[in-house]
Amino acid sequence: MAFPWLSASILFPIGAALLIPFVPDEGDGRKVRWYALGIALITFLLTVGGYLNGYDPSVAGLQLVERVEWLPDLGLAWSVGADGLSMPLILLTSFITALAVLAAWPVTFKPRLFFFLLLAMDGGQIAVFAVQDMLLFFLAWELELLPVYLLLAIWGGKKRQYAATKFILYTAGSSLFILLAGLGMAFYGGGIPTFEYTSLAAKEFSTGFQVLCYAGLLIAFGVKLPIVPLHTWLPDAHGEATAPVHMLLAGILLKMGGYALLRFNCQLLPDAHVRFAPLLVVLGVVNIIYAALTSFAQRNLKRKIAYSSISHMGFVLIGIGSVSALGTSGAMLQMVSHGLIGASLFFLVGATYDRTHTLQLDDMGGVGQKMRKMFALWTVCSLASLALPGMSGFVAELMVFVGFATSEVYSLSFRIVMAVLAAVGVILTPIYLLSMLREIFFGKENAELASHSNLVDAEPREIYVISCLLVPIIGIGLYPRLMTDTYRASMERLVGQEDKAMAHLREATGLPGGTPLAPFLASGGAQALLRAPAVG
Amino acid sequence: MPSAAELAWLIPVLPLLGACVTGLGLISFNRTVNRLRKPVAVLLISCVGAAAVLSYAVLAEQLAGAGPIEVLFNWASAGTFNLQMGFRVDALGAVMLALVTTIALLVMVYSDGYMAHDKGYVRFFTYLALFSSSMLGLVISPNLLEIYVFWELVGMCSYLLVGFWYDRDAAANAAQKAFVVNRVGDFGLLLGILGLFWATGSFGFEEIGARLSEAVAGGSLSTGVAVILCLLVFMGPMAKSAQFPLHVWLPDAMEGPTPISALIHAATMVAAGVFLVARLQPVYEPFAAVQLTIAVIGTITLVLGASIALTQMDLKKGLAYSTVSQLGYMMLAMGCGAPVAGMFHLVTHAFFKAMLFLGSGSVIHAMEEVVGHEPVLAQDMRLMGGLRKFMPITSATFLIGCVAISGIPPLAGFWSKDEILGQAFGSFPVLWVAGFVTAGMTAFYMFRLYFLTFEGDFRGTDQAIQAQLLAAAGKASAADDSHDHGHHASHPHESGWQMAMPLAVLAVPSVLIGLLGTPWNSRFAGLLDPHEAAEMAEHFSWAEFLPLAGASVAISVAGISVAVLAYALHRIDLGTAVAARFPALNAFLANKWYLDDLNDKLFVQGSRKLARQVLEVDAKVVDGVVNLTGLLTLGSGEGLKYFETGRAQFYALIVFGGVIALVVLFGALG
Repeated sequence: MAFPWLSASILFPIGAALLIPFVPDEGDGRKVRWYALGIALITFLLTVGGYLNGYDPSVAGLQLVERVEWLPDLGLAWSVGADGLSMPLILLTSFITALAVLAAWPVTFKPRLFFFLLLAMDGGQIAVFAVQDMLLFFLAWELELLPVYLLLAIWGGKKRQYAATKFILYTAGSSLFILLAGLGMAFYGGGIPTFEYTSLAAKEFSTGFQVLCYAGLLIAFGVKLPIVPLHTWLPDAHGEATAPVHMLLAGILLKMGGYALLRFNCQLLPDAHVRFAPLLVVLGVVNIIYAALTSFAQRNLKRKIAYSSISHMGFVLIGIGSVSALGTSGAMLQMVSHGLIGASLFFLVGATYDRTHTLQLDDMGGVGQKMRKMFALWTVCSLASLALPGMSGFVAELMVFVGFATSEVYSLSFRIVMAVLAAVGVILTPIYLLSMLREIFFGKENAELASHSNLVDAEPREIYVISCLLVPIIGIGLYPRLMTDTYRASMERLVGQEDKAMAHLREATGLPGGTPLAPFLASGGAQALLRAPAVG
Repeated sequence: MPSAAELAWLIPVLPLLGACVTGLGLISFNRTVNRLRKPVAVLLISCVGAAAVLSYAVLAEQLAGAGPIEVLFNWASAGTFNLQMGFRVDALGAVMLALVTTIALLVMVYSDGYMAHDKGYVRFFTYLALFSSSMLGLVISPNLLEIYVFWELVGMCSYLLVGFWYDRDAAANAAQKAFVVNRVGDFGLLLGILGLFWATGSFGFEEIGARLSEAVAGGSLSTGVAVILCLLVFMGPMAKSAQFPLHVWLPDAMEGPTPISALIHAATMVAAGVFLVARLQPVYEPFAAVQLTIAVIGTITLVLGASIALTQMDLKKGLAYSTVSQLGYMMLAMGCGAPVAGMFHLVTHAFFKAMLFLGSGSVIHAMEEVVGHEPVLAQDMRLMGGLRKFMPITSATFLIGCVAISGIPPLAGFWSKDEILGQAFGSFPVLWVAGFVTAGMTAFYMFRLYFLTFEGDFRGTDQAIQAQLLAAAGKASAADDSHDHGHHASHPHESGWQMAMPLAVLAVPSVLIGLLGTPWNSRFAGLLDPHEAAEMAEHFSWAEFLPLAGASVAISVAGISVAVLAYALHRIDLGTAVAARFPALNAFLANKWYLDDLNDKLFVQGSRKLARQVLEVDAKVVDGVVNLTGLLTLGSGEGLKYFETGRAQFYALIVFGGVIALVVLFGALG
C-alpha cells in the first residue's frame, strides 16, 4: 500500500499537538514555538509530498484516495482523497499555517495552548478539504470552530468575548443547515444511507429537492465566505483576532465557504446550481461594491482590511455563478490568491499594531519616515490586493471577468449591467487601499504617535514571512498556469456537469439551444423553490 | 545568430532584472545598498543602456525593411480558452523603443546630478529602471490584454514616483489622485477589452478590427454597440494621456521629482495613450462617430491646456498644462485618421518637452540653493528672472525648446504640428480653427515662461515676495526654519555636467528631427506607413502647403511678439489690460476651469459620504438585526451572559452530544 499522504497530513499535526504538554518549556514559549514550527513544516512537506508523489494534475477524478471502514453500520468511513478542487487548498492550508506559526513568534501568553490550537486547526482544516464523506466533513467543519473560538476568546482584543460568541453562534447556527441537507441527501431515495460524495453524486435528486438543499447549503457556506448580508461576524472576529489567527481566518477559513460551494452546491446539485447561478452573480456584485464602500469608510485598520476581504470574495461568487470553465477557474484562483494576499495584509496589520499600539487611522500618519521597509512591504501587498498585473489577484479577477462576460448562459443586458457594476470595484479598491497607505505612511511624522510608540523597522522574520507569501503571489501573476494547471482537469469536469444541467433546464423549459437563460433563471429558481415542499 | 527583433524581449527584461537586484538589496540590506550609490547607478544605467543599444539595432532592422515579427506563448488557459502573451516588433514599436530608451537613459544620467543630495537616491533609480521596463513592455505588447497589464504597471510606477517624497502631503495626495483617476480610465478600458473580446473573440489589434467591422457589416452587431465598445476602450487613453475631463491628475503629478516629470509625465507614459490609439486604428477607423469623438476631445484638451497655461506662475505647472495641450494635438491627429502625424508629434514633442522639463529641473535645482527646498518658492517664476546670466546652457536649451514647441521652422515642432493642423483642416475645419488659435497661445505662454524665468533681473532674494508666496500657500514663513538651511547662496549656479549634458544632447533632435518628417519626403511616414508616405509625397503641392504653414508661423510669431512686448520690453501690462478687464475669465483660467473643485464636490466628497452611509447601514441595520436576533433567541441577557463567560465547552458539548445522538440513532436503525 502506498504511503497515506493525506491521512498523515491530517493526523500528524493533531497527534503532535497532543504532545505539546510534554515539550520542556519554561512557559515563555521559546521552545514550544520551535516545536510547533517544526511540526507545521513537516505537515507542509507531507502535503507537498502527496502532491508530488500521488497527484497527477491532468486527471480529473479523485486521487490519493484512502478509505477505511469506520462505522459500517452508519455507512461512515474514513475516506479522504484529493482532486483539483481540494489539492490547491490543501497546499494553501499547510503553507499558510506554517507561516502563521512563524507570525505567532511574539506570543507569550499561554503559548502551549496557543500553538496546540494552531496545530489542531492545521489538521482540521486539511481534513475539511480532503475528506470525501459528508458526515466527516461536517465533523471537521465543526471541530475547526472550536480552536478559532478559543483563539479569539483568549488572545483577542478588548471586545473578544463578544466577537467570539458572535462567531460561534453565527457559524454553529448555519452549520445546522449543512447537517439537515447532508442527512436529507444521505437518506434520499431510501436504501442504506450513504454520506460519501461519490455515492451522493450518483444519486438522481429531483430538482425540487436539489433546490431546497442548495438554498440551505448556500446559507451555511454564505456565512463562511461570507456573502453580504451574512457577513457581520467577520469584521468583529477579524477586528479582535491576533495576527496569526487573522492569517488563518482570511487565508483559509473563508476559503472553506468557497470550496464547499464548489464541492456540494456545484458538484452534487448541478440542476439547482444553474437555477441559482444568477443569484450568485448578483450577490457577488453586491459583495464587491458594498464591502468596498464600507471598507472605505472604516477608520479601524483591521476592520478595513476585513471588509476588503469580503469585497474580494465577491469575485469568487461571480466566478462560480458564471457557469463557465474560465470563470470557475478564476474563482478557484481568486481563493488561492486571496488566501496569500489576505494573509500577508493581516500579518502586516499585526506587525504594525505591535509598533503603533493603535489601529485607528486617525492616530497614525507619517510612520513611513522611520519604518521604510515596512512601508515597502505594505505598498507591495496593497498593490497585490488591488489586483495589480504581475500579481495573482489580477489574473484571478481577469479570468472571472472574461469568463462571465463570455458566458453564453446569460442575456447580454444582464452581463453588461453586472460586469459594469463589478468593474466599479476596480475603481473603489485603489481608493480605499491607497487612502489607507496615505494615512498610515505618508506625510509628516505624527509627533504624538512617535512619542509613545516604538517605531522600529521590519525585522528579518517579518520580511521573511512576507517574502514567502509574495513568491507565489508574483509567480502566479507572471505565469498563472503554475496554479491553474493543477486543477484544470477537475474544473472542466465540473463545468461539463453544469453544462449538462443547463441542457436539462433548456429541455424542461422548452427553450431552444443557445438562448440565454437569465433572467429567466432567477424567476425559475424562485418558482422551483416555492414548489419544492410539494416535490420533496 | 538571432536578429535583434528576436531578442527584443530582452529590452524590457534587462532593466527589470536591474531593478529586481537593487530592489531586493534595498529590502534586505537597506543601509549598505543605500550607500552604494554609484555602483547602483552604473548598474542600472548600463541595463537601460544595453536595452537602448538593442532598441537601435531593432530600429535599424526596421529601417532596412524587416517585416513585423510576433512571438507568442500560452499564458493562461481554461476550457477552450487560451490566452497568449509574448512580444511583437514592428515599425511603430521600434520607434517607441528607441525613443523610450533614449530619453530614459538621458534622464537617468541627469538624475545622478539632480538627486545627488537626496537620501532616496538608490530607491529613485530602482523605480526609474522599473518604469523603463514597464514602458518598454507596453510598447512591444502584441495584444490589448498585455497592453493592459503594462498599462497598469506604468501607472503603478507613476504612483510610486509621484509620491516619491512621501513626507510631503501634496505628493501623497497627487500620487493617489493620479492612480485613482487612471483607474477610472482603466475601468472603461477593461470593460471595452471585455466587450471587444465578447464581440470578436480576440485580443489582437488587427483581428479585432477586421472581425468587428465584419460583425457590423454582417448585422450581428449593431453599430451603436460597436461605437460604445470603442469609446469604452478610449477611456483608457483619455486618462493616461490626460485628455479632458480626465486630465486633472497630470498637473498635480508635478509633485514628483522633476526628472520624473520629464520622463513619465511628458515624454513617455502620457504618450502611451496616443500610442494605444495609434495601435487601435484598425479598430477605430471604420467608425466615424468614434473618430469624431476622439478629435473633439483632443481639441477640447488642447484649448483647455493652453488656456490654463496662460496664467500659471509655477514653472513646472505651466509646462504640465502645455503637455496637456500638446497631447490634445496628438489626439486630434488620431481623430482625423492621421496616426502617422500624431505619432510624429509624439516623437518630436517627447524630445523637446523632455528637454524643457529637464531645463526646468535645472532651474529649480539652482533656485533651491537660493530659496531652500521649498517647492512653493523654488518653482515660482515670481522669484526667478535673469537666470540666463547664471545658467547659459540651461537658458539656451530652454529657448530652443520654446522655439521648437511654438512651431517656428525648421525646428521639430513646426513640422509635426503643422502636419496635424493640415490634416485637421482637411477633416474638421472647425477643429482646425481651435488648433490654429491655440498655436498662437502656445507660442505666447512658452515665451512668457522663458522671459519670466531667464530674462530681467533676479528676484530670488526678495524676502517680501517669498513671504507673500508662503502665506498664499498657507505655509509657515521661511524665517522660522531658516536654521535648517541657513547659508543660502545669493544667486543660482549652472548645474553640473550630469544635468547639462542631457540638455545639450536633447537639443539636437529638438532642432533637427522634424526634418525627417517634411511633407514632401517624410522618412518617418515612410517607416510607419510607406503607402501613406508615397501618397503624401504625391499629393504634396507648395500652393497648398505654404498658405497653411505661413498662417501657422504667423500666429506663432504673433504670440511670441505679445510675450516679448509684455514680459521682455514691458510695453503692455497684461495684468491691467486683460486680467482686470475680464475678471471672470481670469478667475476661470486661474481656477483651472473649476474642474478640480467640481471633482472634489461631486466625486471625492460624494463617495466619502456614500461610503459613510453604507457603513452606517452596515453597523446599525444589518448588524443590528443580527444582534437583535441573538438577544431574542437567547431569551434574555442571562443566556448571552452564559456564552460570554467563555465556556466553549458548552458548545463543544452540544456538538458532540449531537453527533453521539446521531450514532445511536443510526445504530438503532441499522
